[in-house]
Amino acid sequence: MTIPSDDVVVVTGMGAVTAAGLGVEALHAALVSDRFCGTPWQGALPVPVVGSCPEPVAEHPDFPDDRKAWLAFAAADEAWRSAGLPPSVASCAVFLGTGLSSVTPEELETDLYPHLGADGRFDRAAMGRDLAAHHGAPRRHMPARVTAALRKKVAAVGPSGTSFSACAAAAQAIGEGLLALRRGEADVALVGGHDSMIHPLGMLSFVVLGALSPTRCRPFDSSRDGFMIGEGAGMLVLERASSARARGATILAELAGVGSSVDAWNATAPHPEGAGAELSMRRALRSAGLAPEAVDYVNCHGTGTPLGDRAESLAVTRLFGERAVPVSTIKGAVGHTIAAAGAVEAVASVLALQHGFLPGCVGHGAVDSELPVDVVASRRSLAPAVALSNSFGFGGQNCTLAFRRTSAT
Amino acid sequence: MTPMSPPYRPALRRPVRVAAWSLFCPAGIGEAGLDGGQPGKVPAFKARAWVKDRKSLKLMGRSVQLGVAAVRAALDGVAGWDDVAPSRRGIFVGASPQLGDPDDLSYALKAASPTGTFDLQKFAEDGIDLIHPLWLVRGLSNNVVGFASAFHDLQGVNSNYCDGRLSGWNALTEGYAAVAEGRADIVVAGGADAFVGADELLGVPCGEAAAFVVFQPADADASGIELGACPDLSGVEGALGYLGAAAAPVAWVRQFADGAAQDI
Repeated sequence: MTIPSDDVVVVTGMGAVTAAGLGVEALHAALVSDRFCGTPWQGALPVPVVGSCPEPVAEHPDFPDDRKAWLAFAAADEAWRSAGLPPSVASCAVFLGTGLSSVTPEELETDLYPHLGADGRFDRAAMGRDLAAHHGAPRRHMPARVTAALRKKVAAVGPSGTSFSACAAAAQAIGEGLLALRRGEADVALVGGHDSMIHPLGMLSFVVLGALSPTRCRPFDSSRDGFMIGEGAGMLVLERASSARARGATILAELAGVGSSVDAWNATAPHPEGAGAELSMRRALRSAGLAPEAVDYVNCHGTGTPLGDRAESLAVTRLFGERAVPVSTIKGAVGHTIAAAGAVEAVASVLALQHGFLPGCVGHGAVDSELPVDVVASRRSLAPAVALSNSFGFGGQNCTLAFRRTSAT
Repeated sequence: MTPMSPPYRPALRRPVRVAAWSLFCPAGIGEAGLDGGQPGKVPAFKARAWVKDRKSLKLMGRSVQLGVAAVRAALDGVAGWDDVAPSRRGIFVGASPQLGDPDDLSYALKAASPTGTFDLQKFAEDGIDLIHPLWLVRGLSNNVVGFASAFHDLQGVNSNYCDGRLSGWNALTEGYAAVAEGRADIVVAGGADAFVGADELLGVPCGEAAAFVVFQPADADASGIELGACPDLSGVEGALGYLGAAAAPVAWVRQFADGAAQDI
């Protein structure tokens, strides 16, 4: 199938579960009011606040101990419903980004601890025997299970994949949906990401790494010292504009391009000058056929870490030169949703295009003179025509999505 | 576990060739790995021979070591690969989730059980300082991408897939597409996994492996290769054991080296 180059890919449905609540509208309401959605963490770890969904999320019988799967199903249901598609679409592609977040304290206690020998080593053979006899492991930890379940739910036979690119995973997945539609491999794509690391073991990973703020997330602030851990899911329904219009679907925005790069630098630290981040953004613009001058807003990765925000701001400055393009991040409001971040922030970017506002950088107070960017400290009334959404992950993987307002929005 | 992705990638623009391949499997390394073999470890694999940076090596699990070595071996097979601009060098990897090394938690677990009973509260209070700060990093699934890109300055298009036995196949198809569509001028793509010792857990004989290919644009007068359908994995896994994310690249490389995949 040859797809005309002017038959662009558009967003016709969205779903979100975040610390703002269940649904896209809850996220929208939080963003336009600059609401901090964190809540105090009551556990033993030195974690002051977390961005957890405040409402009950429906459990899924096939995923009894996998909260991140429940988030995915809730967001996917909303996205599919809002797109107005029939329950089954065979020519659908499914691409999800996800993370390693399923090791629970209970697993630690029941699966690992009993096999810890007096010599401080684990009896792996015994551990394997026990797991094989009593649990569904390792299937429980297979990231592709959720992708497969969503494929089954909509009876999709198109291409699919599960991206596991750390914090760039969801953006990578959304980009792959775009490519699949451009190639004509599918007529519809259900894409996004999901993750929840708000449990002791998940947070422990970041505590020992020193990545969490001991107070609260202050992106691009002179006193920034880390992020607030969040959880969430974001899902988008993508279609080519021709088919969306043909079925009378509401077009929310155009997904105009995707770019990816690798820092090729360090496993945990970003390139100090943001070289990979800049390349990712330039690639997204090239993919979209846009010049930097077209961009009105950058939804930054902006975790609130000293190195990360600095590298990203340098990349933004090099890309846009003298022009101060407004930047912000929603991580100060809803937390860092890790592998889901690219999808949740894609939803936020589309909301900005749809409703004509720039989300504020909740938590940002004091300008850092070393970060030469125009930080949107609080919601700004400005109707962007083009927004970039950045997602950067451990391992140096970077991905940028370019969204454009359409005449129909 | 059945393949999830239909094996088609139509409407591509330029022909693609396989410039080199690498193979680390229980049958052997390189040419030695093309025939026979039985489930188990890659014979004579010494990570230090492939990864000189000791600090990085400490952060790599076995499957990551295999993957990083296989990426290097594949690139070593292409003369002048580093003439390609770093931003045009892509990497696509299939890898299973790394649950981290449980031994990294052992001291913290002991601290959490002074009376012989596990206490989560004590684990959090007294165990944290006993856990390696890079415990999370050691457990990242995308470590092959991270380390190999840093070693070889691969800054271009990329992804890391966790789709069970289809992980490596998705990496091959997307890497192939990246070259065919002009998004990269050289791509290293494949998969790595290590399940040795998990036979009882998985209920099948297990092995470890990594296989990568280097895709480049074919000459203008060449027709290039097609990936074709995902190879039948039962044959290779019947011989070498469960290979997870490496299964499809191993099967494809063995097929390609036979000449079968070059027919279009």
